[in-house]
Amino acid sequence: MKLRFGQSTCARNRQTRSKSRVLHFAAVVLPALSGIVLPGCERNVSSKPTGTPVTIATPLGLPTVPIPVHNPVTADAIALGRKLFYDRRLSNQSTLSCASCHLPSHDFSDPHRISLGFHGAHGTRHAPTLFNAAYLPSQFWDGRAASLEAQVIGPAFNPVEMDNTAQGVVANLEKDPEYPALFQKVFGTPDITIERVENAIASYERTLLSGNSAFDRYEFGGEKTALTAQQIRGLAIFRDPNRGNCAACHTINAHYALFTDGKFHNIGEGVDDEGKFDDTGRFDRTHLASDTGAFETPTLRDIAETGPYMHDGRLKTLDAVIQYYAGQGNSNPFLDKEIKKIHLSAQDRGDLVAFLKSLTGNTPLDEKPAPERAVHP
Amino acid sequence: MKPHLKIVACLTLTVSAAMSGCSKSSTRHATMPPAAPAPNYFKVDPATAGSVSGSIRYQGPRPARKPVDMSNEPACVDANHGKVYEDSLVVGPHNALANAFVYIEKGLEGKTFAPAPSPVTIDQKGCWFRPHVLGVQTGQTLQIVNSDPVTHNIHPMPQVNREWNHSQGSGDPPMNHRFTKAEVMIPIKCNIHGWMHAYVGVLDHPYFAVTGDDGKFTISNLPPGTYTLAVWTQTLGDQQQTITLAPRGSARVDFTFHGK
Repeated sequence: MKLRFGQSTCARNRQTRSKSRVLHFAAVVLPALSGIVLPGCERNVSSKPTGTPVTIATPLGLPTVPIPVHNPVTADAIALGRKLFYDRRLSNQSTLSCASCHLPSHDFSDPHRISLGFHGAHGTRHAPTLFNAAYLPSQFWDGRAASLEAQVIGPAFNPVEMDNTAQGVVANLEKDPEYPALFQKVFGTPDITIERVENAIASYERTLLSGNSAFDRYEFGGEKTALTAQQIRGLAIFRDPNRGNCAACHTINAHYALFTDGKFHNIGEGVDDEGKFDDTGRFDRTHLASDTGAFETPTLRDIAETGPYMHDGRLKTLDAVIQYYAGQGNSNPFLDKEIKKIHLSAQDRGDLVAFLKSLTGNTPLDEKPAPERAVHP
Repeated sequence: MKPHLKIVACLTLTVSAAMSGCSKSSTRHATMPPAAPAPNYFKVDPATAGSVSGSIRYQGPRPARKPVDMSNEPACVDANHGKVYEDSLVVGPHNALANAFVYIEKGLEGKTFAPAPSPVTIDQKGCWFRPHVLGVQTGQTLQIVNSDPVTHNIHPMPQVNREWNHSQGSGDPPMNHRFTKAEVMIPIKCNIHGWMHAYVGVLDHPYFAVTGDDGKFTISNLPPGTYTLAVWTQTLGDQQQTITLAPRGSARVDFTFHGK
């Protein structure tokens, strides 16, 4: 038997777990290796979908969706990923699904400042929208996952989120008679592994795209009446390096607009009165002082629908966000230099908020799945 | 002894673990670092302390105070129920000059005073810093409150202390800040609302006052001695007078500022 319990299969995605979780995992899993066969770790099970790859249609204003070679997107993979996304059995005691915090009704973000995890546990950061996450060079506010695949299972294993384990997820899914057939359809064999779960959900997430907004129709569709006069003024302020300077990080390219540079910036949000950060953000990953308090630029797609705002959800409204920037951020030693260039009059602020409301896409209904099916273990 | 011999002597002493003279760093490593000295705060003798008081007056034309245009922040207009006037020159009845910052500039050197335990509060209310002029001791807490329904931003612009800038949303808890060095005056602005200004005087002693609409001030519990009493005004410049305070004395000092 070829054991694949190693860096490539079972240990790869464990970075996000707390030390206690690692210890728990070691205590439970390592002894099991000696005798019991672990699901997902015992055989060389391919995680690559076997069906015909499909092209994900992109709405106006978005570039082609990048697809990793090892995880081609197929219709069956998307369908399986969608089912898994809404399946509470990914969590401990089947309490939460991905959709519990990335609510389709809230444009795949969370109306709570900080999401409620397993048994009411709290994390420290706000659940961002999943729209257009497919384009981000790294996932999570601190960029700790290099791909959607690497991101997917992080929350499932996080004690303050879904609080599950690898074997817990697999065991839960194996109880459902539908899943082996679905996994077979996608991957060629009925095996349920964490890697397969990751790949399927990542494929589904790649279809969560927001474009063809009023802004897109104006900017890329030549529809000059798509924006109001106030929104057009707001767009000019958004781009003007001497006023809003927003596009310095929330980028607009010549043929598409992601409204994020995918990089990490300290905007001063979350710093205390003494200039210190409770959550040091990107620094946690790089240990570079200059990354202290820096977080990945979020997209602004559907921003009017995805409050509260900032990595910690501290700001409740777009008005508060724009006022925050108008104040040029909170000073601290690592404040991004772009923040200091912002000069906004009150009218500028109103125009910007109006413009931001033009970024809500018209995502096709079939990408907003039906309400979660009640699952009782 | 020739120079090279000195070096040899030092090396020899160092190698032989003699600690004085040539190897101070070794000595420092060998002992505990000196603890920060406990503050030796000056104790004012209530039996001899006196006070200085007086009035600040204004002579000159009285330009009409200009109304402040808050129309681009409707919540600020609503909060004020009427016109708001800028407060760079506020003259009360009998030519009394308000918002003058009066303080002991010289004469307290060598004395260290405990920071006042209670905070000084500056409130952002009606899109206005209240008070407009205030004093605080080094190490004393400046408590910053936002009573408004809008986000404010407090941005002190010191020359000696550290410059900082912090937004405070509506309903956010008070912020607390301490200045470490004496500095008169530190302008404060709100980056969001350009009409909002305040001035804070930071002193390493408790002997300061701000005049109200009556132009009067009193500085009490002052040890006897000779002092320079200084007055800062926002638009009329500064003035100083030397005073000598006898034990249990009460000095009276008036100032007159002239407008153009």
